[in-house]
Amino acid sequence: MKNDFLNTLINKAQQEESPKVYVSDKVIAILTADERRLGWFWNKPMMWIAALSSALAVPSAVLAFILNNIWVGPLYEISKVISWVM
Amino acid sequence: MVTFSINKSFVTSPEWTFVLYATEILSEKAKSMINNTDGRASDIEKTIDIDDVRLSRQGDPDAYTRLIERHQQEISKIMWRFSRNRTVHEELVQDVFVEAYISLATYKERAPFTHWLTRIATRVGYRYWKLKAREKKFERFSLEDWDQLNTKSSEEIDASQAATLLHNLLGQLSPRDRLVLTLRYLEGCDVVETAHRTGWTKSMVKVQTFRAKKRLQKLLPKQEIVL
Repeated sequence: MKNDFLNTLINKAQQEESPKVYVSDKVIAILTADERRLGWFWNKPMMWIAALSSALAVPSAVLAFILNNIWVGPLYEISKVISWVM
Repeated sequence: MVTFSINKSFVTSPEWTFVLYATEILSEKAKSMINNTDGRASDIEKTIDIDDVRLSRQGDPDAYTRLIERHQQEISKIMWRFSRNRTVHEELVQDVFVEAYISLATYKERAPFTHWLTRIATRVGYRYWKLKAREKKFERFSLEDWDQLNTKSSEEIDASQAATLLHNLLGQLSPRDRLVLTLRYLEGCDVVETAHRTGWTKSMVKVQTFRAKKRLQKLLPKQEIVL
């Protein structure tokens, strides 16, 4: 049995009207709220300080780790002894 | 302060008559351009859209409001294929415009704004279907509903009833199959347009359509599907 019924349904469904929507106000409200949230974050001086200090903390920690490795490493210990003997 | 005055003799002169005549011709030309249905009107719409897109990029909310108001019914029609729940449908339409605003910088202005927007709408709808499939939320479909409506004549079937039955039937398929069948047969897109809206290649669309039709056939075992 050929299914003309499916094509009938498709033709009918294509004639259906979609519900009318008015979303402009809601979309603008969502976008404005997002922008305000971002603006609020960057306008707070404490947020700037927190952002800068966290940006400085990472390289400082890396530098401290490297310097610690150099100064307490076996090579450094040996060179210290040799310089004392000499 | 600069003041302009028109000499009375100029108003009655042939030059003034020429100015009036030229203005009349130009206004007639503008009217015919707006009323023209052979594509020039859509060119004007495209230009208006592009102007509003540029203003929106500069942060003008009124320009984006105008864009939404011009295209919301078209997007509503597309999203109605993705969800027939009015609340979800409205949220999907909102999501399309929010996502469009966020990606506004990627719009290249070569194609009409509406083409770009329908692509975003398809992406938002497809994502919604994938989310629903992951949560194992499927549409309710029974062969009894199908058979019941099948006994009615074409005139007796309501457009909304038909759309709901098809929506539920296609809801039994995977989001991928569902998308390709919805675009090809419900939206009436050809292979090129389907490829554009999904971001797939043309051959992929053809293969996917073939496979989706086979899977649809399994849902309706007693009947041969000819699409």
